[in-house]
Amino acid sequence: MTEKWKDEEGAQNFWYRGKVTRRRVIGWGGGAIGAVMLVPAPWRAAFGAAKPYKIGSEQPLSGAGAAGGKTALVGLQMAVDRINQMAGIMDRPIELVIADDESKPDVARRKTQKMVEEDKIDVHVGGFLSNICLACMPVWEEAKIVNMISVCLDTTLTTSKCNRYSFRVHDYAPAQAVAFGPMLAKMGKKWHIAYADYSWGQSTRDAYAAEIRKNGGEVVGTTGIPLGTADMTPFLSKISGDFDGLFGIFFGKDGVTIGNQAYDLGLAKKYKWAGDGAICESANLPALGNKIDGFVAINRYVPIFQGALDTPHHHRFFDEAKKRLAKIDRSGPLPDRYVQSNYEAMNALKHGMEMSKFETREDTMKLIEALEGLEMKLSDDFPQGDKTLRKADHQAFLNQFLYTVKGGQFELFEMVPKDKTIVPPACKFPAA
Amino acid sequence: MDAVAHFFQSIPVDLLIIQTVNGVVTGMILALVASGLTLIFGIMDVVNFAHGELFMLGAYVGVLVLTATGSFWIALVLSALIVALLGAAIQVATLRPLLGRDSLNTILATFGISLILQNYALWQFGPVARKIGEPITSHFNLFYLTYPWYRILIALLSAAIIGGFWLFLKYGKYGVWIRATTQDRVMAQAMGIPVPMVYTAVFAIGAAMAAASGVLFAPLVSVNHTMGLDWVLKAFIVVVIGGMGNLGGSIGAAIFISLLEAYAAIWVDPSQAVIVSFVVLILTLLFRPTGLFVPTPK
Repeated sequence: MTEKWKDEEGAQNFWYRGKVTRRRVIGWGGGAIGAVMLVPAPWRAAFGAAKPYKIGSEQPLSGAGAAGGKTALVGLQMAVDRINQMAGIMDRPIELVIADDESKPDVARRKTQKMVEEDKIDVHVGGFLSNICLACMPVWEEAKIVNMISVCLDTTLTTSKCNRYSFRVHDYAPAQAVAFGPMLAKMGKKWHIAYADYSWGQSTRDAYAAEIRKNGGEVVGTTGIPLGTADMTPFLSKISGDFDGLFGIFFGKDGVTIGNQAYDLGLAKKYKWAGDGAICESANLPALGNKIDGFVAINRYVPIFQGALDTPHHHRFFDEAKKRLAKIDRSGPLPDRYVQSNYEAMNALKHGMEMSKFETREDTMKLIEALEGLEMKLSDDFPQGDKTLRKADHQAFLNQFLYTVKGGQFELFEMVPKDKTIVPPACKFPAA
Repeated sequence: MDAVAHFFQSIPVDLLIIQTVNGVVTGMILALVASGLTLIFGIMDVVNFAHGELFMLGAYVGVLVLTATGSFWIALVLSALIVALLGAAIQVATLRPLLGRDSLNTILATFGISLILQNYALWQFGPVARKIGEPITSHFNLFYLTYPWYRILIALLSAAIIGGFWLFLKYGKYGVWIRATTQDRVMAQAMGIPVPMVYTAVFAIGAAMAAASGVLFAPLVSVNHTMGLDWVLKAFIVVVIGGMGNLGGSIGAAIFISLLEAYAAIWVDPSQAVIVSFVVLILTLLFRPTGLFVPTPK
C-alpha cells in the first residue's frame, strides 16, 4: 500500500519524466535563497524577529566573589526574562552577554575590551567587586558605552572617579552613613571601625567616620583586615580599650568570619555591635547562626514584609527571586541586596532606553540624558521603593532600612526615606 | 642597653600571652594541613595543588554528615574517611598514570583537579555559606577577651591526629612500608612492598588529614567553596620551610611561622605581620634550601 503511490500517473509524471532534476532543485533553491537575501531590510524587520539589544554584564562567577556573583546574576536574569516576556524594550528582545571576570581586575579589563570590540554590546549592566568596577570604568568611558553599575559600592565611583558614562542606581556609603549616623550616635559616643581593607571598605570607613564625628561622636581606632582573611583572630585580639561600639564593614564570607569571630572573642557582647548589612546578608545567616543576634545593621534591601517593604510589588519580586535562587542553591536562600540591585539596575536601563528611543551605541548620549535625573517609582520594576538618579553625579538616592537580627530573623527598626539620605554631589565630570 | 630594657618593658604582657595562644592554635591547624601536603610530596614527589580543595570538601562532607547525624564527632570521622576514599580514587585515576613523568605534569593535573573540585562545590552546594556548629561553646577569660575553649580543643585534636599518625608511621606495619618507600622506593619495591599501593594509601591519608582539618576549622569561619585557598598557600610555605617531605619539620615550621606572625602582630598591623612568613621563606631558600629542620647537604 505504501509503495503504490509511485505507480499513480501523477507521481510517474512528477518523479520519473525528468520534471524534477537535481539541476532544477539547485537552480530554484539558489534563486529562492538569493531572493530572500535581496528583500529590503524593513521588510525583514517587519516580518522577521527584531534584532535584539546586546546587553553585556560582567559578574564574578568564579574566584573569591563567585558566591555573590551567582546571586547577582539571578536578579539580572530575572529582570531580562521579565522584560523579554513583555515584548522586550520597544519590541526588541534583550540578549545578555555574560562575562565571568573571575574576581580579578586584569581579567575583567580584558573581558570588558572583548565585550566592546568583539561582542559589540549596546550597553553594560553589572560589576560586583569595587576594585573591578574601578578598573573597568575608563574602558566604558573610552568606548562611549553606558555602564549601569549594579553592585559596586565604592564611594569614589560616583565622586572623585565619576564619569559621564557610569551610573549607580543603588546607594553608596555617604548616603548610608547619613541615614545611620543618628542611630549610631544614640548607641554610643566612641566607636572602633573594623573594615575590609580594599577600596569599598576604605571609602565606607571614611564616610562613617565623618558622619560619626558630625553627630558628636568619636572614632577611637580602625582595623583594616585584608579580603579573604581566614582567621581574623590576630586582628580582633588587638581591638581593646575604652569605646562604646564596634562598627563592621565586611561582605560575603568575610562577613561570616567577622560575625563568628567577633562573637567568639566576646567583642560582640562587650561592645555595641553594628555595621553594614552585608555582614548579616540573608545568604550569610545560615553560617552565622545565633552568633549575629543583636547586630544592628543598615541596608537598602531586607527580605522581610514589614513597613515600607510590605507591598504587593515586593511580594511578587520576593517570590520569583526565591524560586530562582532555589535552583542555584538547594538550601533555598532568600533574595538579598545583590539580587535586588541587579534587577532594578536592568529595569532602570530599560526605562532610560525607552525614554531616549535608544537603538544602538550611536544613541548613547541620548540614553545618558534620559537617565540623568530619572525618577523611579515603587512598582514591579522597582520593588525596593522610590529612587532618584541624580544628574550631577549619576548617583541614586533611595530608602534605607535600619534593623537588627533576632533568632536568625530580621527585625525592622526604622525606614529612613530617600530624601533624608541625600549628601551633596562630589563629582566633576571630565569634559567630553 | 637602656633602650633594649625599655623595649622589653614596653611589651604588653596580656597581648603577648594572647598572641602566643593564637599562634599555637593557628600553628596546629596549619600543621595538620601541611602534614598531609608534605607526606604526599615526601612519598610521591607530587606537589598537590588540590590539597586546599580536599580541605574544603572535607568541610562540606562534614556539613552533610552533621545534618544527617547531628554529631560533630561522627562528622569528623566520616568526612575524613569519605575524602580519603575520594583521594584514593583521584590518585588512581589521575596521578598514577603520570608516575615517572616530569613533575610539571602532576602539578598541572592537581591544579586542574583543584579547579574542578572548587567549581563542583559551587555548583552542588550553591553560593550560600554553610555552618558547622562547634561541639563545645564555652569560653574562658583571657585578659580582656573571652576565649573559646573550642580553639584550644582544635589545637589539642590536631596534635592528637598528628601524634597518632606519627605512631602509625613508627610502629605500624603499613607505616613502616611508607617510611621504607620514602627512603628508597626502588629498594622498597625489591623487598616486596607494593609501592603503587603505598602511593594510593599515602594520598588517601593526606586527603583525610586535609578533610579533618577542614571540619575542625569550619566552626570558626564558614563552609564555602574557596575556604581551602586561604590555608593552602600558607601550608606550602610551611612545607618549604620545614623541608619538603619532612613531617616533623613541617609541624615545627607551622608553629614557628604562626608564632612569629602572632608576635609581629603585636607591633605592626597583622596584615603586615604576614610578611614575616615570606621573609623566612626567602631566607630559608637562600641559606637552607632543603628546609630549616633538615641538614643542608655538603
